[in-house]
Amino acid sequence: MTALGRRWILPLMALVGLALAFWVALRGEPDRTIGAARILPPVAPASLTEARVAGAGLVEPASELVELSPLVPGVVTEVRVVPGDRVVKGQLLLALDARDARARAGEARAALAYARQAITAARVERDAAARQLALLRRLSEPSAIAETQRIDREEALRAAAARLALAEADAGRAAAALESAETEIGRRELRAPMAGEILQVRTRPGQYVTAGPAPGGSSTPAITMGETRPLHVRIDIDETEIGRVALGAAAIVAPRGRATEQVEARFVRMEPLVVPKRQLTNQASERVDVRVLQLIYALPEDARGFAIGQQVDAFLPARGPASPPPAGAP
Amino acid sequence: MWWIALRMLTGDRVKYLGLLFGIGFSTLLIAQQATLFVNLVGRAGNAVWAVPEADIWVMDAKAVAVDGTLPLPDTDLARVRGVPGVLWAVPHLREGGSVRTPEGKLERVSVIGVDDASLIGVPARFLEGSREALRAPGAIVVDEIGFRRIFPGKGARLGRELELNDRRAVVAGIVDVDPTFTSGVLFYTRYAQALEFVPGTRNRMSFILARAAPGEDPREVARRIEAATGLKARERTDWVGDNIDYVIAFTGIPFNFGITVALGFVVGVAIVGLTFSLFIRDNLRQFGALKAIGVTNGQIRVMVLVQSAWIALIGIAIGTGLAVVFIESFNNTDQFKGFFQPWQILAGTALVVALMVVATGMLAIRGVLRLDPAEVFR
Repeated sequence: MTALGRRWILPLMALVGLALAFWVALRGEPDRTIGAARILPPVAPASLTEARVAGAGLVEPASELVELSPLVPGVVTEVRVVPGDRVVKGQLLLALDARDARARAGEARAALAYARQAITAARVERDAAARQLALLRRLSEPSAIAETQRIDREEALRAAAARLALAEADAGRAAAALESAETEIGRRELRAPMAGEILQVRTRPGQYVTAGPAPGGSSTPAITMGETRPLHVRIDIDETEIGRVALGAAAIVAPRGRATEQVEARFVRMEPLVVPKRQLTNQASERVDVRVLQLIYALPEDARGFAIGQQVDAFLPARGPASPPPAGAP
Repeated sequence: MWWIALRMLTGDRVKYLGLLFGIGFSTLLIAQQATLFVNLVGRAGNAVWAVPEADIWVMDAKAVAVDGTLPLPDTDLARVRGVPGVLWAVPHLREGGSVRTPEGKLERVSVIGVDDASLIGVPARFLEGSREALRAPGAIVVDEIGFRRIFPGKGARLGRELELNDRRAVVAGIVDVDPTFTSGVLFYTRYAQALEFVPGTRNRMSFILARAAPGEDPREVARRIEAATGLKARERTDWVGDNIDYVIAFTGIPFNFGITVALGFVVGVAIVGLTFSLFIRDNLRQFGALKAIGVTNGQIRVMVLVQSAWIALIGIAIGTGLAVVFIESFNNTDQFKGFFQPWQILAGTALVVALMVVATGMLAIRGVLRLDPAEVFR
């Protein structure tokens, strides 16, 4: 290597180093620009950009959930509905095993028939006694023997009348027993208390159902129904925001997961009772320090894509701007 | 005149190389240590940078860092959504947990629960699998480094299973994400799923991620959120700054690195100063001769300036070159993943080293300036 070549080695290395440094440094920082969300979370509508209260809630039937259990426990023999059926008031939904009640009804019916026959028999006897007495009276022979006979006949007639009354009372008792047995059969049937839609059927023929809540506190009603025309949403509002909500105004509601499909829901009512917020932590011993006001809104008839029990996000109009207005704002 | 100065400089090869080595080495030391420091501490902000969609982080009023916060009740999400200027807000859960690896080791993991519907909070760069796969039951998305730590060895990576809080978790994706400061394994999963994966208390929501409406200043919106809800809301670059400050305040790292940077500086000054003043002292005769033939002190100053500029330029260039080669060759390893070279550090180092060289040159030359030309001929 010549002297000249050697002299330029270091400056050349320096040039290479400088170029590298510039190249690396100019590539610079990792990308830290703000990016757009691919799936948009719920966004307040343009009408509510200034004053609004946000809440989350659940879709429910207009009647709320009606959880039906039979009046008496027993084994299911027949389920007449499937989820999704529309039912009218009084329609039979499910029947329990009622053989014992039917047997009692049969007994009562037999007893009634027997009592009716007894009435007929007693009536025959009474009529016979009455005729004989009338015959004796017509003879009007004032002898001691005749008088004795007349008394006998009168007594016989009274006895026959008493037996008839007894037979009639028996019949009444049998009729009451029949009615009781039939009520017993009726109590083993579950009928719709109102018109609506069957939402859930939790029992099958052959299963034992209890009356009222199942033991252990787990509430599994046999059938859940509700009036689903229209659907309501129950929106939870943090208790600190209660004063800000403009009650009576329509809310903008979107189902969870499809935040862009917002619909306007009509105000129905406010629950007067502020309740503890349900936190879904799956913990047995939960303490609660958040309480919520529940507001009920009706979804429009043509709202699509709202399933009962689904979570929704809602924006409600507020009375005024969010407490203290931002500094520097006019 | 300049040419003479440079020939004078390069004439003594050993001293010339010594000078360059000293400058190059202290440049390398300062630049490299400062870069490592900035990057390491900057990792405290990576959890925030990993969510490019959100420009506001809302948290408990007493929260200080991404890994140290008190969870909020669910209804606070609605309260933040109700603040004017907020475009959207989603829940974000960050909680630590432990997981037993298939090999039986214990690993610290951060379970990160992202909004179920929008999946905001999942990193953007997927190496395997997809964002949508998170919707499957039990699905988790793991960061690349963490995956290798938990499942060492080869084989198909998607579909591996492990147990988290007695629940089955299935790897549905692997993401490329820069490690956080604590560099635990990152498990991304849906919020509802995360609630099951991490045993916890009643309130679970660690953060609320929000976005300012278009045309709104995120800092202004953050102030509004604070005023309306009483929570703490930070614009994301401010929040990154808070996290970095937290790390600086509560770990010994900045102190240690500061010492190293200072040492690099001292070593540089010592080598350069000593060599340069020795070099000038050795060349006293030559400078004297120059003065004798009528070269002024000003011209001599210029000559030394040229000499210092030359060695500074070459030394700094080589030093920064080596520093970036170091960063480039190591930023794909797990320890240095995501490290980058801020140009500010290179510029600052170059400036400091250049000043140091010029200053020592000017100091060393004082003797020459006071020199009587006749001295050389005695």
